[in-house]
Amino acid sequence: MKKLQCSAAAKICAVLVLLAAAFGAGVFGVRALVSSVSITRSSWQDSSRFYSAIDERRQGLVEGIELSQTLEELEKQIAEGAANPLAYADAEALREEKARVEEQFSRQNTWFRFRLLTDDGQTLLGTNLKDDEAISRTVKEMHYFSFELWEGSVNYDPETGDLGLSPSDANPEGETAPSMKLVLEYGVPEKVDDSIQDEFSQIWRLWDMDRASFDQYLTGFLNLGALTLLALIWILWTAGHKSGAEEIVLTWQERIFFDVYAVVMIAGIAWLAFGTVWAAEQLYWGQSYAVRGEDFDTFFNLGVTGAGALFAAGVGCAVLLLRTLAVRVKARCLGKTTLLCRVAAWMAGTIHDFVRFLPFTWKIVLGFGAYVIVTFFLIMGGVYNGAFMFMYLCLQLALVLFLSWWAYGYYRLRQGTKTIARGDLEYQIDTRHMPYDLRLQAEDLNNISVGLAGAVDEKMKSERFKAELITNVSHDLKTPLTSIINYVNLLKSTQQTDPKAIDYIEVLDRKSQRLKKLTEDLVEASKASTGVLSVTREKIGMGQLIDQATAEWEEKLSDRRLTLVTTLPEGETWVYADGRHLWRVIDNLLSNCAKYAMEGTRIYLDLERGKGQVALSVKNISRDPLNVPAERLMERFVRGEESRSTEGSGLGLSIARSLTELQGGAFDLAVDGDLFKAIVTLPQAN
Amino acid sequence: MYTILICDDDRDIVSALDIYLTSEGYQTVKAYDGQEAIRAAETHEVHLILMDIMMPELDGIRATARLREGSNVPIILLTAKSEDTDKILGLNIGADDYITKPFNPLEVIARVKSQLRRYTALGGAEKGPGLITAGPISMDDGAKVVTVDGEPISLTPIEYNILKLLLSHPGQVFSSTQIYEQVWNDPAYGSENTVAVHIRHLREKIEINPAEPRYLKVVWGLGYKIEKGA
Repeated sequence: MKKLQCSAAAKICAVLVLLAAAFGAGVFGVRALVSSVSITRSSWQDSSRFYSAIDERRQGLVEGIELSQTLEELEKQIAEGAANPLAYADAEALREEKARVEEQFSRQNTWFRFRLLTDDGQTLLGTNLKDDEAISRTVKEMHYFSFELWEGSVNYDPETGDLGLSPSDANPEGETAPSMKLVLEYGVPEKVDDSIQDEFSQIWRLWDMDRASFDQYLTGFLNLGALTLLALIWILWTAGHKSGAEEIVLTWQERIFFDVYAVVMIAGIAWLAFGTVWAAEQLYWGQSYAVRGEDFDTFFNLGVTGAGALFAAGVGCAVLLLRTLAVRVKARCLGKTTLLCRVAAWMAGTIHDFVRFLPFTWKIVLGFGAYVIVTFFLIMGGVYNGAFMFMYLCLQLALVLFLSWWAYGYYRLRQGTKTIARGDLEYQIDTRHMPYDLRLQAEDLNNISVGLAGAVDEKMKSERFKAELITNVSHDLKTPLTSIINYVNLLKSTQQTDPKAIDYIEVLDRKSQRLKKLTEDLVEASKASTGVLSVTREKIGMGQLIDQATAEWEEKLSDRRLTLVTTLPEGETWVYADGRHLWRVIDNLLSNCAKYAMEGTRIYLDLERGKGQVALSVKNISRDPLNVPAERLMERFVRGEESRSTEGSGLGLSIARSLTELQGGAFDLAVDGDLFKAIVTLPQAN
Repeated sequence: MYTILICDDDRDIVSALDIYLTSEGYQTVKAYDGQEAIRAAETHEVHLILMDIMMPELDGIRATARLREGSNVPIILLTAKSEDTDKILGLNIGADDYITKPFNPLEVIARVKSQLRRYTALGGAEKGPGLITAGPISMDDGAKVVTVDGEPISLTPIEYNILKLLLSHPGQVFSSTQIYEQVWNDPAYGSENTVAVHIRHLREKIEINPAEPRYLKVVWGLGYKIEKGA
């Protein structure tokens, strides 16, 4: 199949067959066309060809009558002896002419029948009918022709020898010459045959022949036309296929814009079609003149051949056009290679873009304006009938649908925004079938949520990584630290001769202990702030916890001459917290006091209940001026004094805050002069 | 003369521990990874093992599990990991105690002594009436004597009564108020905060490292308890 489609030989054959068949069809078609004129008329006399022939006859007859009138006048003048000698010759010529006309119109020579009457119909002036023949019965259709003859008005100009009937006003006497009104009745019998050879018998014979051969011509035309069509289908089917090429092969034809090509081709086809019809017409008329021409058949055959060629050329043009159309459709480039389509697409694109990128406000204004104008014209020009009401309803319905579409898009956008705002950053708003402006919004939101989700992920990852790093680093620090602590201890147990060495070892011991504390705090701080610690919340007695904490710290605080003043409300205060973590919070706060409180002052530890919250505040007087804002104190590695000479890691408050927040509490710091105040607020348990 | 197997991939730590333990009169065997530790335990008569957790070849946890298959020698884990899960895993796998790095050598020696006393105590004291024990702590209520790992410790009457209350209900948490009411036989009117102080003193006497108690535990915000089965 494919092979057949690609075969070049088959293609050429198809083209040749097409052209030959088209030519044949053209020839038969022209013949059929010519004969179709005869076939459509019921009588051979009912044709323009016949009319033109009979009119010609009538003219000849009228001329003959006028001629004989002139002759009569002339003879009369000759008889009166007034004639000039030349008149004899003229009369002789006129006589000859008259005899010729009479010969022409004699019964034996023509099928033309006539009667010449005076206009009152009483006097028969001449006829070629037999005595017993009635003209109305002899001819198929009787024609009338009435005309006037001027009596005694023949002017003979001796100078020129011109003869003529002159109108009466030429009469010098001013007398109106009497005119003779005549009526000519004429026609041709229905039945004619070749017994008399004249144009009428010729027309009849042609008509008869046409009638006989029309079917033949038509059959020939149809068969060859069908063959042409088959060849055309073959050509269209194989068009664009070429052996060795998978794709549709484009030729030079497809480089021309289709519509331009089509206009040129259609013009050509129309011209060729008109040419064919014109040729047919010429042939048709030519037949009537064939009576006179001797070699009519050659002319006719040549004409038919020419018309066939014109037809074949037209079909060829049509095939070229259809073929390129087929190739374009097959290659799916019809729209692209059509100038109008391109222009339309470009314009549509431009308008679309224009509307699309119009600012939103303008869209609303223009849209509403268009709606108002349409409504206005509908109402103004509306005939208030059913059709109008229907159109109006349709307009409103379209408006409602459009607004619903918009509203639904907005609803979806709103829902999506809500979901994202609630924290589901993975959520993507479905932007299909959304109005353009909303879709832009939705896409931006989607991008934001993607970006945000990424950022949050990144943050989590980096926090985890940090915690892991700190944990690993502290582990790695701990091993050498173990050695340091152990060997410092060993040094301490050795005998030192230099008293300074004992001091140095003491420093080493202190600093290694501090380093130990620091690494521990570091791990804890990173764990607490990244939330990797497990929290088991249960009902905890704050009073009990403060008692335990006080017991742990009382001695150390009194060593520094610090007094702990605890104020507890009546009865046990229950909170909902993790005991170990809460202990660490209080432990850190009290340890802070031990480190930074001014010696000899009091530390106030107050517990308050209210509104479902329990607040524990720790107040102390700082030893050093607190030149750091309260918020900064909670940051990691920030301490009240910048010199960092005291013990402590600067992580205590940071850990305390992280741990409090892990338990669902709040941690606040307040600095008022040297008064340092930490407040831990936790939800109360019933 | 007891032989102690010290196993850590850090040679300095091993030699430091060696110095301390030798000066305390113990014999030592050194190993630098889990495989070596297992081999050393097979070739020597070892009475106690100090084992690091993070080691190449075979880590401390696996080595402990391997050793436990054929021996009940006391194992103390040395760990740089401060996560609770590591300690719990270590204890569950068969270790007897753990020390977190960086450790204090004195604490190591104290824990070693404690474990050795328990391991070598022949049958322990007779379980007569009035003898309450929990882990290394035993209280002879008749003689009013309390020993930890066989070492007698001196307690004040209040400390003694508090310990007795907690020992007789191992695992149960007593709040300060409950302890006060039961020990002082008085309704507590805000004077129960003294209980906490007494218990801290008690803890200092019983525990090797009071900041990290093994037996007398503080349940923060709820009270105190003696660890069940300790």
